[in-house]
Amino acid sequence: MAPVTIGLLGLLALILLIAARLPIAYAMIVVGAGGIAWLNGPGILLNQLKTLAYGQFSIYDLSVVPMFILMGALATRTGLSRDLFRAANAWFGWMRGGTAMAAIAACAGFGAVCGSSLATASTMGKVALPELRRYGYAPALATGSIAAGGVLGILIPPSVALVIYAIIVEANIVAMFAAALVPGLIAVVLFLVTIAIYVRVFPGSGPAGGAEDRAAFWAATRGVIPTLIVFGIVIGGIYAGLYNPTPAAAIGVFAVFVFGLLRGTLGLRDLRDSALETAATTGMIYLILLGAELLKIFMSRARVPQAAADWAINSGLTPMAVLLILLLALVLLGCLMDSLSMILLVLPFFWPVLSEINGGLYQTAEGSGFGMSTEDLKIWFGILALVVVELGLITPPVGMNVFVISSLARDVPMATTFRGVAPFFGAEIVRVAILLALPALSLWLPRVIAGG
Amino acid sequence: MPRGDAGMSGDAQPGPAEGILGRLVTVWALLGGGLLAGIVAVNLWAVIGGAVGIPFAGDFELTEMGTAVAVFTFLPYCQLTRQNVTAEIFTARASPRAIAWLSAIGSALALVFGAVLLWRMSAGLMDQQSYGYATTILQIPIWWAFVPILVSLGMLCLAAIATLRDDFDVAR
Repeated sequence: MAPVTIGLLGLLALILLIAARLPIAYAMIVVGAGGIAWLNGPGILLNQLKTLAYGQFSIYDLSVVPMFILMGALATRTGLSRDLFRAANAWFGWMRGGTAMAAIAACAGFGAVCGSSLATASTMGKVALPELRRYGYAPALATGSIAAGGVLGILIPPSVALVIYAIIVEANIVAMFAAALVPGLIAVVLFLVTIAIYVRVFPGSGPAGGAEDRAAFWAATRGVIPTLIVFGIVIGGIYAGLYNPTPAAAIGVFAVFVFGLLRGTLGLRDLRDSALETAATTGMIYLILLGAELLKIFMSRARVPQAAADWAINSGLTPMAVLLILLLALVLLGCLMDSLSMILLVLPFFWPVLSEINGGLYQTAEGSGFGMSTEDLKIWFGILALVVVELGLITPPVGMNVFVISSLARDVPMATTFRGVAPFFGAEIVRVAILLALPALSLWLPRVIAGG
Repeated sequence: MPRGDAGMSGDAQPGPAEGILGRLVTVWALLGGGLLAGIVAVNLWAVIGGAVGIPFAGDFELTEMGTAVAVFTFLPYCQLTRQNVTAEIFTARASPRAIAWLSAIGSALALVFGAVLLWRMSAGLMDQQSYGYATTILQIPIWWAFVPILVSLGMLCLAAIATLRDDFDVAR
């Protein structure tokens, strides 16, 4: 049997195993290991297994992942989210729809210390949902905006998904962090505009809360200072080239920890829970990473990515058409799988296709398929891919953000929340279109930082 | 939230871990968490010490080694509390018994994975020891890291046996 055929059979087996509700990590490990053993014999595989897992788990760049997770786990327990929401509500609350806008802004702010969409949605939901109810917001707008606000986190550094993407395609993590900032802010603006339009289309869905007096305004505003400090020393330090992402994350963990101690919000029980949450999430992610590595070895020996790239080149489609097809595939897959498994599972196939179409890994902007160097394409595609994989979190059938919010607001039917999220889904499509049309929005900041 | 459907980073909820094995596995994961805190401290020292003129050598290798060991200590906890993500959409309408059978296959795979890796990484330890591999700056023998890792893998096997037994209880 030709290696490519074996590779494709492997992919088919993988899909079947995942559909049969096997843990995605183990499905990848079994197919990857099985495929390598089939192609090269079991001896080579058994030899590789002596050090493969240790080698994979001890990659220096990956060490930032457990630290960012720990930082987020601590941050959700410190009360930072409440301070952020209070401040944002002081700024926006006087407007129609302002409290929902405040929830969006606070989600974005919390995304700056926590790299997880679901944690952001659930933490902010606990803080903001009661307030939105108190001001008499329509349930669809209230739950919809928080579910949507959760997706902001993936592009606002620090984001675990960004780190994983960078490691898979061998991109510079610092460049990815820089590239994500402007697209992340665009989403915040678009979501705020969406709410402004929503409350005009549906009058009465988001009543104005009335302005606070000057003293209360400033007191609330001071609440963002800790988040600004943490974001400044972690991400600012990375942008400025003061330290690597790993020490930066370590400083972030320490800063959030100290803040929690000073506020008196972090008890022993919180520390224990944070550690266990970190253990659960980190173990899950690293196991998927190991599966992805085995699968990558299998697939590259079966030459499947090359076959896919050849097929794309010979298909006669324009580079842009191929890119759009891949993004659409990611949106559809996002309805079935969580974003991280998808990034790890699918991007090792998608990236070589785009890289080949552009003219190979070392292609410069001149004469390339996309009119940019492959290094730039890597960054730009990463941003686009991360935006679209997160769409799955707010679409049926497995919109995890919507599930989380529904579990917090049990009186609101899930269908109502999905309806409330729909306008934000529209805003996300607009954002993808903007980012597709203007690659400079993603590529500008990395260039400034690399030049400076 | 459906169990095991933890989705993106940072959102896995710590599940219950009961019994002696549960307590053991939880303490082991907490030790790993403590190690992670140690790595945080090393990195802090490296940055702050570097800035004030007391540089710390070897923070890279300590980070690499420590993270790998910590991650392995997390695996038994993940298995026992069933944190590994599954795609539940295709089996949403299956009966609880059918799901328990599928779940048992997953637990069995975890057991095989833990056992094979325990066997292979024991051989890996011997290799590291006999070739005398050590880290570049601090000259820490790599095989030291393999010892807690093998313990973790042994506990992963026990955790997988426990989840497998639970699955069978539901399936019958």
